[in-house]
Amino acid sequence: MLFSSIPFLYYFLPAVLILYFAAPKKLKNTVILLSSLFFYGWGEPKYVFLMAFSILAAYVFGIFVEKYRDRTVGKILCGVSVAVSLSFLLYFKYTDFFIDNFNRVFGTDTALLKIALPVGISFYTFQIISYTVDVYRGEPSQKNIISLAAYVTMFPQLIAGPIVRYSDIARQLSDRQHSFTKAGEGIRRFILGLGKKIIIANQLGELCDVFRASGEKSVLFYWLYAVAFALHVYFDFSGYSDMAIGLGKIFAFDFLENFNYPYISASVSEFWRRWHMSLGSWFRDYVYIPMGGNRVKPSRQLLNILVVWMLTGFWHGAAWNFIIWGLYFAVFLTVEKFWLGKYIKKSKVISHVYVLLTVLISFVIFNAPDMKTAFSDIGGLFGAGGIPLASPEALYCLADYGVLLIIGIIGATPLVKKLFVRLWDVKGVKTVLAVCEPVFLLGLLTVMTAFLVDGSFNPFLYFRF
Amino acid sequence: MNNKVKNTVICITFGIFIFTFALLCLFLPKDEYSVSERRPLEKFPEVTAESIFSGKFMSDFEKYSVDSFPFRDSFRTIKAISALGIFRRGDNNGIYLHDGYISKVEYPISESSLDRAASRFKYVTEKYLDGTNKVYYSIINDKNAFMAEESGHLAFDYEAFEKEFSDRMDFAEYIKISDLLSLEDFYRTDTHWRQEAITDIAERLCSAMGTSAGSDFTENTLDVTFNGVYTGQAALPIEGDTIRYLTNGTIEKLRVFDHQNGIDSYVYDMEKAKGKDPYEMFLAGPLSLVTVENPENEDGGHLIMFRDSFSSSLAPLMAEGYSKITLIDIRYISPDILSKFVDFKNADVLFIYSTMVLNSSDTIK
Repeated sequence: MLFSSIPFLYYFLPAVLILYFAAPKKLKNTVILLSSLFFYGWGEPKYVFLMAFSILAAYVFGIFVEKYRDRTVGKILCGVSVAVSLSFLLYFKYTDFFIDNFNRVFGTDTALLKIALPVGISFYTFQIISYTVDVYRGEPSQKNIISLAAYVTMFPQLIAGPIVRYSDIARQLSDRQHSFTKAGEGIRRFILGLGKKIIIANQLGELCDVFRASGEKSVLFYWLYAVAFALHVYFDFSGYSDMAIGLGKIFAFDFLENFNYPYISASVSEFWRRWHMSLGSWFRDYVYIPMGGNRVKPSRQLLNILVVWMLTGFWHGAAWNFIIWGLYFAVFLTVEKFWLGKYIKKSKVISHVYVLLTVLISFVIFNAPDMKTAFSDIGGLFGAGGIPLASPEALYCLADYGVLLIIGIIGATPLVKKLFVRLWDVKGVKTVLAVCEPVFLLGLLTVMTAFLVDGSFNPFLYFRF
Repeated sequence: MNNKVKNTVICITFGIFIFTFALLCLFLPKDEYSVSERRPLEKFPEVTAESIFSGKFMSDFEKYSVDSFPFRDSFRTIKAISALGIFRRGDNNGIYLHDGYISKVEYPISESSLDRAASRFKYVTEKYLDGTNKVYYSIINDKNAFMAEESGHLAFDYEAFEKEFSDRMDFAEYIKISDLLSLEDFYRTDTHWRQEAITDIAERLCSAMGTSAGSDFTENTLDVTFNGVYTGQAALPIEGDTIRYLTNGTIEKLRVFDHQNGIDSYVYDMEKAKGKDPYEMFLAGPLSLVTVENPENEDGGHLIMFRDSFSSSLAPLMAEGYSKITLIDIRYISPDILSKFVDFKNADVLFIYSTMVLNSSDTIK
């Protein structure tokens, strides 16, 4: 089930809110668990059992890892738990990738398994791993299986993150304070996230589809596509994160932020401190630092960076373009770390242009169905193949989506937020804004409902992860 | 207003909004048919173990929840106004409004579709026609041809379209009519042309085929507001059209037979004029096989029109020149079984289609 859907907004959410707030405190996690299982089962009825098994395994391993964490067997148990979780991910997500590449290398004809990817498996696998590792590192294990299951399955962040670490949420599972203030902030965040997704991301996604279907490519069209996709992926994913954080607040949970205006970054390393922060910090804390992090000789550090970014790319999808995408960033991060970093700090303009160009091209690779198309798309940006500078279709799309692109570009910066913060401090304006805000949010919800009622174009990009 | 009060107001208003609509979703009676979109609406899906475990129930329920959403048409209007007004989109789901006319972006030329259409027409020609037949074709440009340039919307090159299709139709003689058409010849809210505006087209076609079209028509006005197919698709508050239909002595005597249903039919079906799509009044709407017999013409001339819905309003104007006109819509009947119903000997054969059908010819059998 998508947040940005009529069944979620007008059937599931009202029912869950009634049950949750009517339930006594000790049953609230049970309501979250049951509603999350329903939410997950709505899209993936068969895979509810897989998820239940993963949770049960994590629960048992957690107890034993805690018991033996000071001994070698604790380390082994932790490793086995991680291996079990990863084996599910590897099987469901990567088997066909490996078979396909094996066939290509050895000329064999092994049939692909064509396994359907359980929605959200990449996210909940990482959450389960974080739980077991956190317990191994000293966090108390969760003795209440309902609470642990509620943590893993929690529907606000189940299918698209942010990746919530057990250590960040452990206390809230047993003790959290509900209030109108927190719920109101959550509702605002949820509606704004929904707006990012439905109004900006979905419409710019249409532009990307128009580009891909067009037989009339031009340099302008390639750039339009690159910009539109970069904005689409940002508003889609950050919108979903906002909705997750907002829903979390309604249920009195505080999830960590996942995006912080990444497109205003002045370096690629800064970009990754602002983009999908929960994934970046997960890889840092559970892969990069255990490998030695920065406390090793430069050559080993370089290897660590390459491994982490290859895995980051691979996490996004079982295809070579994702691996190349990860390694592409590894190259820029390494070059920045050892050489370029000091130079790009000298000019704000050049540093921003450098980051935007690097990121735009990265997303062209990211969104390509294969590497051949990726190279072709990158070439298209620079006029390769003698394509014209502009075409009628590209010019029409520029006019058709021009306002949305401008809204997207401005919305990807903190300009609007800064403006509101300033206005908030102006005497008299604060009251007007406070009165207007609920009206604006309801208006936005109405328009978004209208978009949902009217359109069927509503795929969520990060489902495939 | 402090933060606490503001957030409380947000909680209450949000709660009222979603719970009200949730209750309406559950308890408001559901429409079975969307008049504005002219399609049946999704029904509540069947609940079985199989449909649940296969995910079919869920996907069907999502369609049902959207189709049955309270005040659905009003929400679609809000969306259209937002898209066109706030986000300044050029079109809404491909539909655009300019100068009171609604049209749909038709772009680009689909070479494969032209190939398919021409190959199906050639198949019919080779299967049924011989030296006794004269074969013609004509192309009806859609409204986009007359609106897009001025409104700044995408449109393919209609001359290039004409040439590309003609290159594939070397087995038939072309009768050009595009120079006779203008935007005013179309309904503002519908895809079709207005019958009272196409008498010159009937004359051109008949003249090219060696006969003459009807004349001395009386213009009649239908006492029904015609909200064309684009009204529903655009979801914008637009004034409907008026349907006018032409009669003369010949048309009044025409005998129409609907072979699809095996019944006598009408040149102008007044029951259908009051129905969901009043344009269906012309020769009773989309039918696979219809014959129009003219008892006043005894020379035995037979015209076979392979056609789409545009010809429903055109054929009566051409009836004077023939003893019989057979209208065949091979979107609804397989060309392979036509010999059971149609005698092709000595007939004039006209393939006449709109650019919309030719450019998405998957529907042609």
